[in-house]
Amino acid sequence: MKVVALLLLSAALLAAGCSSRAAGSREDATGAGPDRVKGTAGGPRQIAARTRRAVVQVADEVRGATGEHARSLSALAARPPGLGNRGLSGGNGAFTRFIDHGSRQSRWIDGALGGVSTLTGVASETTEADMQWALLRMTGPRLQAAMLGALLLATWVDFLQLADAVLRQCPAYSVERLFVELRRVQGRMEPTLTALASLDAERVEAAATAMPELMGQLTREFGSIQEGARVAMERREQLLTAMQFMEMLTLVSALKMSLPRLPPAAPASLGVGLVMGSGGVMVGSRVVVSAEWVEAMRRLVQAGVISVPVVSAAVRIHGGQVLMAQASGDLPPGVRDALGDGPEVRAMHETGRAGAGMSEAPRHHVLPREHREWFEQRGFTGAMDIDQFCVRLEAAQHQAIHGGGNWRLGRTWPGEWNRMIMEALREAEAEAGRKLTRNNILNIVAERMKFYDVPMSFTPGRRR
Amino acid sequence: MTGGRSWQGDWKARLCERVRERGYDSLTAFAEARPAIPLVELAEELGRDDIAGVQVLSGLLAEAEQRKQVTRFVRDVLVRQLSLTLPDGWPVVMDDESRFQVAKALGCWSADTPDTHKDRVRQARAALRATPPPPGWRPLGPDDELLRTLLPDEEA
Repeated sequence: MKVVALLLLSAALLAAGCSSRAAGSREDATGAGPDRVKGTAGGPRQIAARTRRAVVQVADEVRGATGEHARSLSALAARPPGLGNRGLSGGNGAFTRFIDHGSRQSRWIDGALGGVSTLTGVASETTEADMQWALLRMTGPRLQAAMLGALLLATWVDFLQLADAVLRQCPAYSVERLFVELRRVQGRMEPTLTALASLDAERVEAAATAMPELMGQLTREFGSIQEGARVAMERREQLLTAMQFMEMLTLVSALKMSLPRLPPAAPASLGVGLVMGSGGVMVGSRVVVSAEWVEAMRRLVQAGVISVPVVSAAVRIHGGQVLMAQASGDLPPGVRDALGDGPEVRAMHETGRAGAGMSEAPRHHVLPREHREWFEQRGFTGAMDIDQFCVRLEAAQHQAIHGGGNWRLGRTWPGEWNRMIMEALREAEAEAGRKLTRNNILNIVAERMKFYDVPMSFTPGRRR
Repeated sequence: MTGGRSWQGDWKARLCERVRERGYDSLTAFAEARPAIPLVELAEELGRDDIAGVQVLSGLLAEAEQRKQVTRFVRDVLVRQLSLTLPDGWPVVMDDESRFQVAKALGCWSADTPDTHKDRVRQARAALRATPPPPGWRPLGPDDELLRTLLPDEEA
């Protein structure tokens, strides 16, 4: 078992998930240290443009990886069964459901990435810097869900490849047992996948935080199937020796090696930590995520697009540190710094998401629901649906806005905001003599939000 | 002006206090000393993080009602809106973008006008469409001549 003792990730996953292939991002990746991102270089517009490129870069990488996984799934489905009708495509179609499960994941990931494209597209045409930021931040939950969903999809594809190999090469392994095992693995992944697919910021983050532990469980499941296959082979004294079989399994060319290898009897040493090196985040001499990826992440973390816990989880998973019981789940300080973590970022994250109990504050549609159709006719659909444009306001803020006393404020939230914004939009449209474009509307809304001091930070609300 | 702090606490008291601190006995006097400055900028001067533009608007309206100068107030709101949206004055070239900026300014003006004056503002807008102001027009206060013909005082 010593051969599989190395805590290794194959280069395949890294190429799919982490490395930067976007040559165009090179120029701004090299020149931008943390200070520059914090605002000393360029105006908010240039920083927003760099953030947008980072979003696009990460989305493209995830898209590339999921595309590859989808092709692996098709290949598995199309591969004719082997001897004794064994293989994922054989067995009277009993295993087809597992392949379908993978395809369903790849579909929602594509959908999430589609939303990211829409939002970055709109952001690129938006002149209001604050609105541009707000739109880029809206990509966050989608991007994070897609990143982590792609990791789980890679893992699932690995399980399917393993199952296919076991079915074909290891007739002593019971088909029923393998079926039960795959169903159990699917069940383990299910809650996390559901949370990710919801694209809800808080659920995605909770799922992300728990993901290293899940990956640890999956690693043990993977190891247990491998071990079971080896034992079955030994008992039957099959043609291949057990050792040869294990080697063959690890050589299955399509295996993504998304999971770290089970450590030898001794638990993984905490001393083998992640460090920030010149090439990226490293374990020993091995790069687990590239410097370009770290740079993109740093930018996104500092812009408030993605959160530190999510990036930390991704790095730990890539680093194979899913078996270590790190109570805090924290990365070493050097790596955290490189990823843009810091008190300011944490504070921003808190205010943006849940600061001062704001996560409990009721959500209000900025674009009034009663006029949903009007907005739909002007392009507010899909990722730009008016339900995506909600803000959280404290009850106290409401009462304050309701005013009273001898100053008849004449503006009450949300009723009066609705009336005001619709009047501004409709009268502007009448004045322009044509339908307002989606960007026109965002431009007016951004100006009015500033006028009312409504925080330009959107969270999805519920459709009613 | 991005944290929503403007609505915490007693914002009216805060607004009055800031005006007095700056040596004015009314918000109107404070605003008159800063003609054609957008309301968001007045708000920023009074409290960078805790006064909203619409609160200044609301305070100015309350004072205008007491002084029976609402029409003048409505003209002043347009002046400040135009300086925000069209800082270089009325567009010289009416392309799609400048037409939108004009539309935005006038749309917001209507929305900020009290119900008592909405009809008159609508008529004023129609007059502006029929006879556009000269390119570069940039009213510097509520007593601008063109504005006073568009929306003459009634209260006097």
